[in-house]
Amino acid sequence: MYLLHYAPDNASLIIRLVLEEAGLPYQTALVDRKARRDDSDEYRNVAPTGLIPALETPQGVLFETAAILLWLCDRHGLGPVEAAPARISLLKWLFFLSNTLHADLRQLFYPQYYVPADAKDVHHSLVSARLQRHFALVDQAAAEMPGHFTPGGILAPYAACLMRWSVLYPEGQLPWFVLKDYSTLAQMAERLEARPATQHLIRAEGLGPTPFTAPSLASPPEGSAT
Amino acid sequence: MTYILHTWPDTAALIVRLVLEELELPYHAVTIDRPNGALDSRSYRALQPLGKIPVLETPDGAIFETAAILLYLSEVHGQLAPAPNSPERASFLKWFIFVTNEVHPSVMQIFYPERIAGPEAAAAVTLTATARLHEDLTLLDQMVARERPAWLSPAEPSILGYFVATLVRWISTLEPGHPARWPASDFPALCDVFTALEQRPAALACARADDLGLTIFTNPT
Repeated sequence: MYLLHYAPDNASLIIRLVLEEAGLPYQTALVDRKARRDDSDEYRNVAPTGLIPALETPQGVLFETAAILLWLCDRHGLGPVEAAPARISLLKWLFFLSNTLHADLRQLFYPQYYVPADAKDVHHSLVSARLQRHFALVDQAAAEMPGHFTPGGILAPYAACLMRWSVLYPEGQLPWFVLKDYSTLAQMAERLEARPATQHLIRAEGLGPTPFTAPSLASPPEGSAT
Repeated sequence: MTYILHTWPDTAALIVRLVLEELELPYHAVTIDRPNGALDSRSYRALQPLGKIPVLETPDGAIFETAAILLYLSEVHGQLAPAPNSPERASFLKWFIFVTNEVHPSVMQIFYPERIAGPEAAAAVTLTATARLHEDLTLLDQMVARERPAWLSPAEPSILGYFVATLVRWISTLEPGHPARWPASDFPALCDVFTALEQRPAALACARADDLGLTIFTNPT
């Protein structure tokens, strides 16, 4: 049994989609972000970085979204595990999503951690332009390698959540992410949205009826997204 | 088939080269004609769509993203990291991803602060990245001191060891007076790992290839 430390509509959602889709038993432990519990000693004992999510497993606690995804993938056969062309594609696009795209997105969500207040506009335009190029590359990869972007894998839920948050956060930004510009990702989002796993999490985390194709801010039954 | 590493001295390609040398694998190092814009050439972009360094061509196709390359090499050759089915894998993976997602980006921001929010904000960006990097390296150092993991240890080489050692090498080559110019010895448990690694034939071979001096991690030139 896994224990997922989560906050609604946070990066834990990516892990939860994978756990649900694979039918893996897990429990959740809410991290109350409103009360800054992610910064508490108690949570830092679980994840010393204070970042959500963390996953408790029989082999210890994992943190960092990409680490959890790859570990689940290898343990439960959710993607190619043997070293071969398929493994190369999985690794390079997982790290592209994590280390390049997600890393830039975090800068956009939390500019205060990276730039002074008077540089926020320049920062937003530089980073969002970069992100548009990143999404175009993922769209192309998904078109070339559809087998890697199925709902049962680890790349589709990851990409879909990043797309969702690009629309929603930071609140009040000039819109820069338009789903229809990325036709393969748009189709992927539609397929993922129809899955029972997503439907379940729509209710569990208050994600609204179309969390990937037309996202709205979460209104979760417990906890807070920000 | 021989591996082909597209490289430029003292970039992230060095980390991959250290690992290729450590594994004693046959490879060609192809120096990218960076001064003449080869990173933007059609042939390079076909391998790496963002024009970043490095790329490794393998029998299974070209691979980019430094961490992906390192993990792939360790998996194919069954060395330098806990195997996917081993009990240490979970712990290794989270710190490996921590280094590639948290530590490496901060180092890049310190070297290229203008890419974040333009030249005017560069000094402020450098300072926040410096504070974050120090915090993250301290966290890693404390973990190593406490847990003494085999996958980041003076006793044996690892992909994570070479990765962190190279990142710390770079910050200790910043100009004197730079806020992030810490000596490796500020992180004592990590420094023990770096000292062991830089004496290995792999490190000495890379030092010779790129003319980097004899103590490439603890006292770089």
